[in-house]
Amino acid sequence: MKIRAFIVAMLMALAFLRAAGTQVKGLIVGPGAERYPIAISPLRNLAPGDDSRKLSEGIADTIVRDLNLSGWFKVLDRSAYLENPQTSGVTLGSFDFKSWSVIGAEGLVKGSFTVQGEDLTVELRLFDVYQGKQVVGKRYTGTAKDYRRIAHRFADEIIFQFTGVQGVFNTRIAYVSTSGGRFKEIYVSHLDGSERIQVTNNRTINLSPSWSPDGRSILYTSYKEGNPSLFLFDLFSGKDVKFSSRTGLNLGAKWSPTGKQIAVTLERQGNTDIYLLDSSGNVVRRLTEYAGIDVSPTWSPDGRSIAFVSDRSGGPQIYIMDVDSGKTRRLTFAGGYNTSPDWSPKGDRIAYTSRVGGRFHIMTTAIQGGEPQDLTPDSGNHEDPSWSPDGRYIAFSSNRKGPYNIYIMQSTGENQQRLTASGGDDRNPSWSPRLE
Amino acid sequence: MIGRLSNMLFGLIFLAFLTISGCSQTTPTKPGQTPSAQAQAPSKKEGAGPTAKQPSTGESSLEALQKGESLATPASSPLKEIYFDYDKSDLSSDARETLKANAAWLKGNPSARVEIEGHCDERGTNEYNLALGAKRAQAAKDYLVTLGIPAQRLSTISYGKELPVCREQTEDCWQKNRRDRFVVMTAKPAS
Repeated sequence: MKIRAFIVAMLMALAFLRAAGTQVKGLIVGPGAERYPIAISPLRNLAPGDDSRKLSEGIADTIVRDLNLSGWFKVLDRSAYLENPQTSGVTLGSFDFKSWSVIGAEGLVKGSFTVQGEDLTVELRLFDVYQGKQVVGKRYTGTAKDYRRIAHRFADEIIFQFTGVQGVFNTRIAYVSTSGGRFKEIYVSHLDGSERIQVTNNRTINLSPSWSPDGRSILYTSYKEGNPSLFLFDLFSGKDVKFSSRTGLNLGAKWSPTGKQIAVTLERQGNTDIYLLDSSGNVVRRLTEYAGIDVSPTWSPDGRSIAFVSDRSGGPQIYIMDVDSGKTRRLTFAGGYNTSPDWSPKGDRIAYTSRVGGRFHIMTTAIQGGEPQDLTPDSGNHEDPSWSPDGRYIAFSSNRKGPYNIYIMQSTGENQQRLTASGGDDRNPSWSPRLE
Repeated sequence: MIGRLSNMLFGLIFLAFLTISGCSQTTPTKPGQTPSAQAQAPSKKEGAGPTAKQPSTGESSLEALQKGESLATPASSPLKEIYFDYDKSDLSSDARETLKANAAWLKGNPSARVEIEGHCDERGTNEYNLALGAKRAQAAKDYLVTLGIPAQRLSTISYGKELPVCREQTEDCWQKNRRDRFVVMTAKPAS
């Protein structure tokens, strides 16, 4: 099948690039290759009434944004489409593939929807234009205000058809923003920056949001009661409870993959160490014993190890510890300042912030060690990496355009795109797990 | 599935409103106590001398942030700031001299309790800088204790790089931000 062949070619190009250590900007598919050209038709309204909510284009627009973010597609401009989406067929055999091949589309998404009251039913189909075949068709039901989620689900399905792994478009990013004011509050928004929701509003400093593995809660550090304590915010109920308020820093909490334990930085008289807490906030065990800085734990996906930052060798470097035995080894050696590690969900690499010549770059390195890969050699600072749940993207903050904004890129550094522009500084992104 | 997601979204929006309305009632006065509030509840145990001598060390950096006021230590403050090298928390000889002067004032004002704020410049990662700020605050506290100030009179808090006094991207400005501030909290009522 054409699409499969294309994806194999993409992956081979990618493997080649990684092996050669080449830095290529722009296209995920590498030099000489092209993104897969796809057309996303506005949906056909099957209900008798008008499309007062503009769902026909709203659903299509959401899929377009997602596929553009993925970095793997070239979505053809809608103004070039020849068909009238409200009269042409949406099922195989009821429209002419030539109207799409003639404008250069190799893939095509068509669909229809019906709204009855608040109930929305959507059918979406992906076609292979060259083969004249349907690749996949899905039917979704929900409420009309849910249309974006339905669109994201189908975008995930398209990614699945191409790569064998679901996309991550039904995820969110939590981050810290000043939004142009002087307070630092936590927000959650969709990957494309839409549907932004303010999580904290206490007019102090709120930092380091971290998702629970079930996507239900966010742990964060806040100065709202004076001491930098940890709070747990339940996104479903809105309940906000104090989680750890020991005197001094209560910082950088990270749930273990099972959600049963939480690695956290606690301070005792100026000395920060990593501790394990249970899900009620009680100390299970102290993990580090060094009389200096130990901060920013991140779990390996198997839950057996943590990586963290320590200044035990002078400047901050990243270390890996086996949680059961306590056996620790140093991971980073290049550069004098390596911080904010985030362990890839695939388990093989760790992304972190590294100072290079007075600027900060996002690097990844294999967990065995070895030559780090610089993903952001461009101008400006790039900090706070956070992996997507499929391990194919990294969110980070950058001030390349002045204030700090949240960006995402492929895990190779390609296809960097800005997600936020709040007018203030947006930092500390934390990528949610897949939300069902 | 979609229905559950929509519930979550709804919940979030609802919640955003709750947080906003909830906070306006509780938050503004929470972090720390204002010097004036504390002055109304002086300790009977300590400070037999005249209590009118309220030093103007300024308010805590967090309070200043909330009120939109300057994060600088007032020039008239008897407790001077100390400064650090980049990514360092050891005390320079200048810092030690300043701390000796601060200790002398603390000895002359035995009822004064001081919160030592550790700060960093804007470069680097928030969490690492918070840990560094904690080390900086503790370094000053430890030295003041060796100079004879009781540890119970000294508390520490790290603000990392979160509350810079200077916002330009110059070494001069960064130097001003790599600091410990000393804020008089006055004595807590005996409990």
